[in-house]
Amino acid sequence: MNAKTSRILALLLALMLVVAFVPGCAAEEEPAEEPAAEEPVAEEPALKAAMVTDVGGLGDKSFNDLAYEGLKRAESELGVEIEVLESAEITDYETNIDSLANAGFSPIFAVGFLMTDTVVKMAPQYPDTLFGGVDEFFETPIPNVVGLNFKEEEGSYLAGVVAGMATVDKFDTRLNDKNVIGFVGGMDTPLIRKFEAGYAAGAKAVNPDVQVIALYTGSFTDQAKGKELGLSLIEQGADVIYAAAGACGTGTIQACQEKGALFIGVDADQYLTVPGSGDVMLTSMMKRVDNAVYMTIESVINDEFAGGTNQVFGLKEGGVELAPYHDFESKVPQAIKDAVQKATDDIVGGTITVPEAP
Amino acid sequence: MLDSIITPDLFAAAIRIATPLALAAIGGTICERSGVVNIALEGIMLTGAFFGTAVVLATGEPWLGVIAAVVAGISISAVHAFASINLRSDQTVSGTAINLLALGVTGFLMKLWYGHPGTTDQIKTLGSVFNFEAPGGGVLAEVWRWVNAILFTHSPIVYLAIIIAIVAQWAVFKTRWGLRLRALGEHPRAVDTVGVNVARGRWIAVLMSGALAGLAGANLTIEQVGSFTENMTNGRGFIALAANIFGRWTPIGSYLASLLFGFADALQIKLQILRGVINVPPQFFQMLPYILTVVVVAGVIGRAVAPAASGVPYRKD
Repeated sequence: MNAKTSRILALLLALMLVVAFVPGCAAEEEPAEEPAAEEPVAEEPALKAAMVTDVGGLGDKSFNDLAYEGLKRAESELGVEIEVLESAEITDYETNIDSLANAGFSPIFAVGFLMTDTVVKMAPQYPDTLFGGVDEFFETPIPNVVGLNFKEEEGSYLAGVVAGMATVDKFDTRLNDKNVIGFVGGMDTPLIRKFEAGYAAGAKAVNPDVQVIALYTGSFTDQAKGKELGLSLIEQGADVIYAAAGACGTGTIQACQEKGALFIGVDADQYLTVPGSGDVMLTSMMKRVDNAVYMTIESVINDEFAGGTNQVFGLKEGGVELAPYHDFESKVPQAIKDAVQKATDDIVGGTITVPEAP
Repeated sequence: MLDSIITPDLFAAAIRIATPLALAAIGGTICERSGVVNIALEGIMLTGAFFGTAVVLATGEPWLGVIAAVVAGISISAVHAFASINLRSDQTVSGTAINLLALGVTGFLMKLWYGHPGTTDQIKTLGSVFNFEAPGGGVLAEVWRWVNAILFTHSPIVYLAIIIAIVAQWAVFKTRWGLRLRALGEHPRAVDTVGVNVARGRWIAVLMSGALAGLAGANLTIEQVGSFTENMTNGRGFIALAANIFGRWTPIGSYLASLLFGFADALQIKLQILRGVINVPPQFFQMLPYILTVVVVAGVIGRAVAPAASGVPYRKD
């Protein structure tokens, strides 16, 4: 290969890499736009709160968007100045936290468990800045950091109550005679197992003979796998399927629509976030990241910031809840709604403790 | 218990899972037969999957989406062809660059066109070609139920893949074009000396592999799931590469190797049902298809001989 061609080649490959990383640049540039026109007469904002998204970014229709909702609510109701920096790559976490902390933002929310290590590393460097780690658990307490975790198992328990009762009911023609319900998990991590454990426990509490089949895709993006798992579950007689598998769940919805089964969504109200899924979407288990973020900002304003602790948001704290039934609102029998209410009361009241592992 | 694992859907799922692998693997076969290693199958498949979805979202026509996926596959494989044939670059580097490029470009365009990363909205999909009625009781009816479920529940590209495997096998081994193609991968100088344009022959082969990998992407989005998710191909392009080797660089061999992997994957899904009886972590089942691939490739590779000039840029001087 002569010198000229190798130079051309080097240029070409460099160009390819630049284009490949364009999303990174785009996400980095975005915050550069003026977030809001500064009003000269406006009084000094009480607080400057910010968040760093994980690689999913805003528009993930899941916890990044939900955290942003919490920030926006704090902006309109508490008069807090807000800012969002998106991370296109894992390597952006540090830079983003750095620039927010230097700009005087506090609290800074780091969204997603992938950022745990970054927060552990960065927080001591900015002792006067407060940090909130969404979905992050800190084994060693750091005085200016609070971990915001959720009792997914409690919300999943309610989903299990709905599924366990629905499968022996007949309120929809797609509900069969078999006493089987399904669960689709993403990667087999302790977090996803909390969903499975709560779901199975809830179903068994209202329907002791129910068979709960749990399958794992091993991925959060492989939709085709999510669909195959859904088809297998339906073939086994499952008529209600709950998926905690990220984007794989969209594939499972497709399987439910093709073969006639009902679906329970996760994280957000998927009736709203997955258009066209209304005909199978029985309900969703929502993680109210927005509430956790809002409440943390409130705690900072009230000087009650629980630094150095790991906060857990369950049913009681408004951290998890079931979404509305939407199109199934009139179909779902009152008995199921009552059972969900009773389970909610029992969990909040402490009569029921939901297991975290299956 | 066994009847919940050995079901008609086990075999139907094997064929469904095998289809995108087989299409990409056949593409890989044609490409390597011409002397160009195509490690970019993964990225090409992802590109096809994305542009197929984008066109269906814009037009509402699934078949237009399939065409778009094929065109997108051809376009991005042209980058590989230019780098590895005209610039004589290292084909692994160029292929890897395309895989990175595809991941970045599809994510970027999602954000640009739809305002968010992650998953697109649902699109209209291509359903099953046949829709036979199941007759009444009896043994024959049961046999028919199995045959129908395994063979006649599939979408168009699934059947197209089988046809492509057969036609490609014939074309590679029984036509003049096939003879030249194989010669290009074995001894390009000999082909050159009899007056055949090496670069042109290889370009056509690389573009064909792009078309097939793009079609594989269309199968994933437009037939199987009806929406696009970033990185949804999840390593299928690399499994296809292995299937091509296991299939000994033949189209039908590639299809059968993909079918074996598809069967192993379908089986691991069904075996996970056993977790209710014996407590085995799901990862154990998830790794089975990959272990099978490693064992099979390691076991066969000693006897399988790659085209001699595969991966070697040709220099005419």
